[in-house]
Amino acid sequence: MGTENPATAKQIHTAPSAALTALKGYWKSVRDLAQVIFASPTAVIGLTLVILWVLIAVFAPLITTHTPFEQDYKLVNKGPSALHLFGTDDLGRDVWARVAYGARTILLLGPLSVLVAFACGVALGLPAGYYQGWVDEVVMRILDAFMAFPAILLYMIIISAVGASSFNVVIAIAIGGTPGIARLVRALTMDIRTREYVAAAKLCGEPDIIIMLREILPNCRGPLIVDFLLRIGYAAFYIGTLGFLGLGLPPPTPDWGGMVQEGHSHMTTNVWPVLCATLAIVTLVIGLNMFADGLREETMRYQ
Amino acid sequence: MDQSPILTLKNVAVTYKTRKRDVDAVRDVSFEISRGENLGLVGESGCGKSTVAFSIVNFLGRNGRVTGGDILFKGEQLRDRSEEDLRKLRGADISMVYQEPMSALNPSMRIQDQLAESLIAHRGFTKTAAFAESVDALKIVYMPDPEAVMLRYPHQLSGGQQQRVLIAMAMLNNPSLLIMDEPTTALDVTVEAAVLDLIAELQERYHTATLYISHNLGVVARVSHKVAVMYAGEIVELADTRTIYRSPMHPYTMGLMRCLPDVDAPKGTRTLHPIQGRVPSPANLPAGCIFSPRCELAQPECSLQHPQLVEMAPGHQVRCLRSLDWKDAKMIWEMEELAKEPCPHRADPNPDTVLNVEQAKVYYPVPFKTVGGIFGLEKRRYVRASDDVSFSIRRGRTLGIVGESGCGKSTLAKAIVGLEPLYAGKVDFLGLDISKPVDKRTQATIKELQMVFQDPNGVLNPSYSVGDQIAFSLRRFKTVPADQVHAEVERLLQAVKLDASYYSRLPRQLSGGEKQRIGIARAISTNPAMLVCDEPVSALDVSVQAAVLNLALEIQRSQNTTMILISHDLSSVRFFADDVAVMYLGRVVEIGPCETVYRPPNHPYTTALLAAVPRPDPDLTPSHIRLSGRVPSAVNPPAGCRFNTRCPFKIGAICQQQEPPRRDMGNGHLIFCHYTPEDLGKLKA
Amino acid sequence: MARYVIRRLMTMLLTMLLVSIIVFAIVEIAPGNVARNMLGAFATPQQEESMRQQLGLERSVIVRYVSWLFGSDWQAEPKVGLPLRETVSQQGLVARSREWWAVEPNGDLVQWDVQESQLIRLVRQPDGSTHKQPADQDWKVDASGQAYFWGVDTGNRAAEWIRGSKTVEYTYDYSGWQEKVDAPVEYIPLSKGLLRGDAGMSLRYKEPVSEVIGRRITNSLILAALAFLVSIPTAVLLGLIAGLNEGRLIDRIISIAGLITAGSPDFATGILLIMVFALWLKVLPGAAVFTSKSAILKDPRLIVLPVLTAGLVEVGYVLRITRSSVVEVMNSPYVRTAILKGLSYRQVVVRHVLQNAMMAPITVIMLHVNWFIGGLVVVESVFGYPGLGNFILNAALYKDVYAIEAASMVLILLAVGTQLIADLIYSLINPRIRYT
Repeated sequence: MGTENPATAKQIHTAPSAALTALKGYWKSVRDLAQVIFASPTAVIGLTLVILWVLIAVFAPLITTHTPFEQDYKLVNKGPSALHLFGTDDLGRDVWARVAYGARTILLLGPLSVLVAFACGVALGLPAGYYQGWVDEVVMRILDAFMAFPAILLYMIIISAVGASSFNVVIAIAIGGTPGIARLVRALTMDIRTREYVAAAKLCGEPDIIIMLREILPNCRGPLIVDFLLRIGYAAFYIGTLGFLGLGLPPPTPDWGGMVQEGHSHMTTNVWPVLCATLAIVTLVIGLNMFADGLREETMRYQ
Repeated sequence: MDQSPILTLKNVAVTYKTRKRDVDAVRDVSFEISRGENLGLVGESGCGKSTVAFSIVNFLGRNGRVTGGDILFKGEQLRDRSEEDLRKLRGADISMVYQEPMSALNPSMRIQDQLAESLIAHRGFTKTAAFAESVDALKIVYMPDPEAVMLRYPHQLSGGQQQRVLIAMAMLNNPSLLIMDEPTTALDVTVEAAVLDLIAELQERYHTATLYISHNLGVVARVSHKVAVMYAGEIVELADTRTIYRSPMHPYTMGLMRCLPDVDAPKGTRTLHPIQGRVPSPANLPAGCIFSPRCELAQPECSLQHPQLVEMAPGHQVRCLRSLDWKDAKMIWEMEELAKEPCPHRADPNPDTVLNVEQAKVYYPVPFKTVGGIFGLEKRRYVRASDDVSFSIRRGRTLGIVGESGCGKSTLAKAIVGLEPLYAGKVDFLGLDISKPVDKRTQATIKELQMVFQDPNGVLNPSYSVGDQIAFSLRRFKTVPADQVHAEVERLLQAVKLDASYYSRLPRQLSGGEKQRIGIARAISTNPAMLVCDEPVSALDVSVQAAVLNLALEIQRSQNTTMILISHDLSSVRFFADDVAVMYLGRVVEIGPCETVYRPPNHPYTTALLAAVPRPDPDLTPSHIRLSGRVPSAVNPPAGCRFNTRCPFKIGAICQQQEPPRRDMGNGHLIFCHYTPEDLGKLKA
Repeated sequence: MARYVIRRLMTMLLTMLLVSIIVFAIVEIAPGNVARNMLGAFATPQQEESMRQQLGLERSVIVRYVSWLFGSDWQAEPKVGLPLRETVSQQGLVARSREWWAVEPNGDLVQWDVQESQLIRLVRQPDGSTHKQPADQDWKVDASGQAYFWGVDTGNRAAEWIRGSKTVEYTYDYSGWQEKVDAPVEYIPLSKGLLRGDAGMSLRYKEPVSEVIGRRITNSLILAALAFLVSIPTAVLLGLIAGLNEGRLIDRIISIAGLITAGSPDFATGILLIMVFALWLKVLPGAAVFTSKSAILKDPRLIVLPVLTAGLVEVGYVLRITRSSVVEVMNSPYVRTAILKGLSYRQVVVRHVLQNAMMAPITVIMLHVNWFIGGLVVVESVFGYPGLGNFILNAALYKDVYAIEAASMVLILLAVGTQLIADLIYSLINPRIRYT
């Protein structure tokens, strides 16, 4: 008992301080990240654009005067007015409201589909890169075949087969994104599995699943975070494109691509719905790209 | 001979712009190089040696520039010259040789074009004339078959050949000044020796003034006439080579000498003196003498006043406030060393065998080149990384395995701990068969056989704190009850001379030496019977190597741990090991106790290896035993004796046809060679 | 090198095989099946059942896949007992009709029909019409005494009739549902299969898919080639300028422009270009609807905006890759060697930077071909350009399965083939691959 005491006392003493240092470390990495972001003007501009759209999406009901579904038959295809900030579309709906609520659609479905794709990509890429051999060969051959598809073509085929709905759009974009993510995770895994700390874990007799999840996956996070951001940009890109092609969300859901599609034929009389929706999608996608890109360049410079 | 200096640097300072502020990477550097003179610039990495070299040709990148002092080339100021003026000098009158020959050559251009363009640009040669001149230059650097080499691409040459091409390229226009930036660091020791011979010979023939940059004191002793020691951007000592090696006066210079293991000193006769701490970054220099925080002899005034470079004797400059006090300081330290007992060794008088390796083969399959291979139409080919290796180790002893890169020593180590599968053969450990990979071994066996790894940056998982990583191992093996894990980690940290505050640090906050210590702490956390160390110090700076080697030795002695030390450095093996095995191309060519293997008679390959070790002693005449040719492919090793293609003492057909027999030299010393023991004794090194 | 080519060809074949399985699986196994899509919600179960029979959808998935890819005539030949042949005859200006016949030993081309329980031979005459002959003597009898006959029917199917089965066949045309009694009990729709150039009938255009694709692909290739020719040199040049001036103002401007054009969705770029050039400046047409086959030649302005749109995205992407590759090479040790060799800036760039810096973009451009082709689909639909992409989109919107399948396969083959060629070019300019 007497010999036991100092050790326990020490532990009690050190445990909170360890927690404190961990917290400090966490705070420090947040600060590091902020420093990285603010070092890159590209990332700052990108982040500003993205935050702007996130705010619009979150506060959509507060900053609009109409719902996106209200139709005003007396005001169809009109330009900006006191009543309608950016005019109305061919059914007399408020363009601003549809843009603001459209931001909700795209900012919800985009990250969601990328998350699903990441779950699948990690589940396929991690074992493929870790075990290599025939597991890898089979998985990669199939993924290669998926990657041979022009993405938009794959989405078109899937949506045409299963029909247009938010759920199906998410699934289609997740299927399209999975091979790329799996390839990235595989490449990272193949690199990291040769590191000596992985060998050290094997020499602790750790099972493969622990090695993959505890030793390898956390060290993939840098490239994966950048890739995640880039892919949200792509997802927004494709959700817009599918909407434009008439394969996106079924009307009357406020959807930017769909707005362009609907307004396309009335462009000679009223350019506003098309212009607003186009600029919205362009600024959001470019914002996401710039943010991811600036972040990538800045983190690469550190290495 | 004209003795006016070719190059004079006076109080040169170089500043780099960084995101936060300007950093003075090099300060107050002055030296002269005359015709026919070779000045060695030595120091640990991060001391600003390369910066000095690139400041001469004003190639400091976008962020760097020379902010003070004069750079005089043949009496003319080089600073602030126009780019066009510099262009005419670069490659013509001043040329350079670089550290990584592979990346210094354009990968998509033939050698002939890369050589010729220098002649065409500076001397207006025609293509044919340039070709002829380039072939001559290749002959001067002893390039075998120069005409054929001219047509090749860099990746088709070996590292030594690439470096010869770069040296030939530098010599093409008969430069007055040659700058060599670690030209042999990336090369294997036998290749390094041959390149150093070449450099010394060119020196004799052309009397080119040379600035030779190296971190290796042995190399500089071999080629340089004068030596400047750099520390954190300043020159701390400058003298002729003999003086520097025989009577150094700056504590840093002395420290660099004292931390080197000596290939001629047997185990237990010497302790190494590491220099504590690490080189400060130029952005964070200490006040006063920049070396004072690491100096064992520092006095309070050292951290207050910045010392100037003072001429202590003609041609011997020292930057130390206290140098006047200890003209004979080296003697003080030497006496101190004699008084120190080498660590006591708790060896059993009659130790049992811990590890027995029998006919171990480790083969890697070569990927199939055709589609047919997948369907079994192509014969499977293997890289024979390790082929029929046998040895055994007794408890408490250390076996060193030496050999050049690619000889299969690391692969063998990995096969023993189970990280690589054994293709054939048998490995017994504590009487248990461990011929299977680690995932098929029991926890109890894994626990007894641990490994220390090579790359300090790869040893620790960057995502977890140091303490957590040691704790993972403790929890997995249940070495201590769960509630004592934290205390046990702290005890292990203390065992590797780190305090408890390291527990929560992340690997990126540690230096290379500290990471390596954590690696050792993790390996000994299971209290293993045997520890395999794979090049544990080769990625570390010399001053840090000593500390890690000392630590490993201390652990071995206190725990009576059996060890295998894999190393390409014969000096560290001599310092550390009891027995040594020499490997070449997957085979053990010689094995035995260190006392006998480090002395003739030897296998011809061992002789060549020992001859190639650069010794930090300017008075030694270098041996002339050198290996020619390149290491054959391990997919198709030569028949007969594997060394026959490069052996300087090859007998004849018998070496190409028959496996060499085992020659017992007595006392457990075995040599695999066609020479009889008596004839081996007569081979003159 | 030859080995390498063969290996790459084999992997490409394997990839295409897997692609065909994926395409087939998504299109045909997906919930909303072909017959339903064609018939709408108001068909009776009997009618739907009959349609499925006629389309061969009752066959197993594997048989259908094999028939789609390799054809079904060789499967039907042993049952009919005669060789089968497809004839092609011109009908009108564009459309051609394809018909399947059995070839009798004397060279006659025949089909069969059953009318009022009578088996009838239809012999093809040189003018394309048929001559009816009663053929009740041809009924065969199986072990249980049932009379049956395998032949080719008038709907390009191999069919089995059973004497007196009273099977009803429903067909659907512009005037509504038609009923026919004494129909076959089993059908094998005849086709040569995708690999032999027969992709089936378009459900929407009612003509062979391969005919339509043949016409559309030329238009797409013209658009793609023009966009490529315009964008790649521009992009490489801009990327080079930016990369050589890393960090300077000109680099910033080019990089940001590249980021914006590469990041904007194609349709958005197209719409904005239409707004500027067609609606505002009124200098170019905002749509590329062809009134005749040679519309491009008559009015080249039609294709300007589509080319610009498809090219802009590519410019942004390629210039960014080129830039970063140039920057990397400029900072490489061998360029340092070249500079310290005393070569002039121009020599360093021309001799040492260009070739090495171009290697990365070449591979990346070609890996990007998928993306580019995807972009074409969108650009074509923005401008109503009559290319393959527009065709696929319409097929997808109308669920014209054979059209989707065939056009997808063609597009992917183009993408994969281009990548293969690019790979070979790359291995030619990179000595490290060439000599190992």
